Amino acid sequence: MAFDELYDEYEERQAKALSMGGPDRLARRKNTGILNARERINYLVDENTWTESGLFTLSHLPEDRESTPGDGKITGYGAIDGRETVIVSNDFTVKGASSSVINMKRISQMRRTALERGIPMVFLGESSGARIPDNMGAYNMGAILGNDGSQYQRTREQPWASAILGMAYGSATWYGCLSDFNVMRKGAIMAVSSERLVSMAIGEQVAGEDLGGWRMHTDTTGLVDFAVDTDEEALDAIKTFLSYLPENHTQLPPEKPVPSGSDEIARTVLDILPEKRTQVYDVRRIIERVADKNSMFELKARFGKTATTALARLDGKTVGFIANNPMFKAGALDAEGCDKCCSFMVLCDSFNIPVIFLVDNPGFVIGIDAERQKAPGKIMNFMNALQLMTTPKLTVMIRKNYGQAYINMGGGKNAAEVAAWPTAEVSFMDPAYAVNVVHGKPGVRLEDSDPDLFKEKFEKFQLENSVYDIAASYGVQHVIKAEDTRDWLIRMLKVHRNRLSGGLGKHLLSNWPTTF
Amino acid sequence: MARIEIESDVTGTVWKIEVEEGTKVTEGQTLIILESMKMEIPVLASDDGTVAEIMVEEEEAVAEGQAVIVIDA
Repeated sequence: MAFDELYDEYEERQAKALSMGGPDRLARRKNTGILNARERINYLVDENTWTESGLFTLSHLPEDRESTPGDGKITGYGAIDGRETVIVSNDFTVKGASSSVINMKRISQMRRTALERGIPMVFLGESSGARIPDNMGAYNMGAILGNDGSQYQRTREQPWASAILGMAYGSATWYGCLSDFNVMRKGAIMAVSSERLVSMAIGEQVAGEDLGGWRMHTDTTGLVDFAVDTDEEALDAIKTFLSYLPENHTQLPPEKPVPSGSDEIARTVLDILPEKRTQVYDVRRIIERVADKNSMFELKARFGKTATTALARLDGKTVGFIANNPMFKAGALDAEGCDKCCSFMVLCDSFNIPVIFLVDNPGFVIGIDAERQKAPGKIMNFMNALQLMTTPKLTVMIRKNYGQAYINMGGGKNAAEVAAWPTAEVSFMDPAYAVNVVHGKPGVRLEDSDPDLFKEKFEKFQLENSVYDIAASYGVQHVIKAEDTRDWLIRMLKVHRNRLSGGLGKHLLSNWPTTF
Repeated sequence: MARIEIESDVTGTVWKIEVEEGTKVTEGQTLIILESMKMEIPVLASDDGTVAEIMVEEEEAVAEGQAVIVIDA
């Protein structure tokens, strides 16, 4: 046959491309229970939907042609839950998935397709940084790096999700930080450069976990939304995250069936609230009960814990919850909590997701540490984001609500509609402090110096904090029983849908920073 | 096995210690209750593990960021 030879070559080259870094490296990886770049794609996408773009790519250096099948970054298109997705999967077995002339072209093509066609992007990150020696020297710096002036632009026209699944330096770290969602497998490292390079540079041995392990990124930096034990769990998390989001900013998020039993659980929400106002509770247990059953998907749970941010569904539609969590610092908002709320508002505003505020906080954390952490700037970032956000906002006041934090948490005209439970108490500051500010002397607590006067004034100040006082001035439009919260939210989301724009917001936050 | 020092996230007073050295704990479990800002504020386990050391006593004052309990996880 005339074309046999050509077809034989095709088969041979295809097999070579799919062989990645060779059987030995792949076997070593398999033994540690970690998936390779192609197995990850197979796990992530719907069956028979994967089409690779660039299967036959190789290094631009002739001497590396044999050792670079796919050139270390596998790119292409596959469906997740029936929707098209653009995928970049780093192949660490080929040159440590280092960035090269050719694989950067692959990523660039993926970014362009995602942007121009409105398709979500997924990065499966594991990379050693810019390839050496390709990038060494001034000539190569000029020829290779920085030649795509939009490489790091993030305008959130479509969702990006990232998983950090190994040693991630350079490229994988950058795209993780640019993404709307970043999950990490425990044991993976995300950092600017490797512990080996850092150790050489500072002359001191540095451990990878200390440089960029999961604890650091979920607890301290907040650059990672959450950590999981296996590759499979990380890929599942990406699927779950994307299930709450539209394909792009011109669409509404997909609707899902409402699980049966959701309304019944919502009736039990008051069981979570302690009887004493001095006792705390975990607001996540309230979100779980108000939202559609099993629909709560919390982001950055270990970071800025005084605030809870979670995607969820109400009546099958995606919503975002921003809630004070009294479990931590009594729910007082701190700098990290503000950053977390801002990043969540940016996500919701960019992708047409209404936001619900659940309020129970004694105000902002104050003091020297708070000021050093730029608290005033963070509080104003929060306010600016809140007021620029054009998706519907609803507020439910659960318990304490004091001072500037009242405004930040969707008080006054900062939400389309505000409701309060009968347990809500609202004022400028805790009445005990207010009595001291007005009637006390600096350095002396009125409770000690004049207990009778304190008691009299305290009762008066507390009396005026009731929910019916703020309802009387129309500061809240509704007083609702706790068990009616779900019904009220569903009803108000119907009223406040953005009909004039087909449900779409203006996305004024879509080019805000990708990390705070 | 990692030795994890859990810090108080508030300034306050130790009100109740809910565990003993050797107690097996799960992530999110209340280990110690502090009194701060007129509220009962829990110190929670950050991980599943075993209580290795309790560094405070009841009624003792603690500062924000002070390590109060150690778990092996």
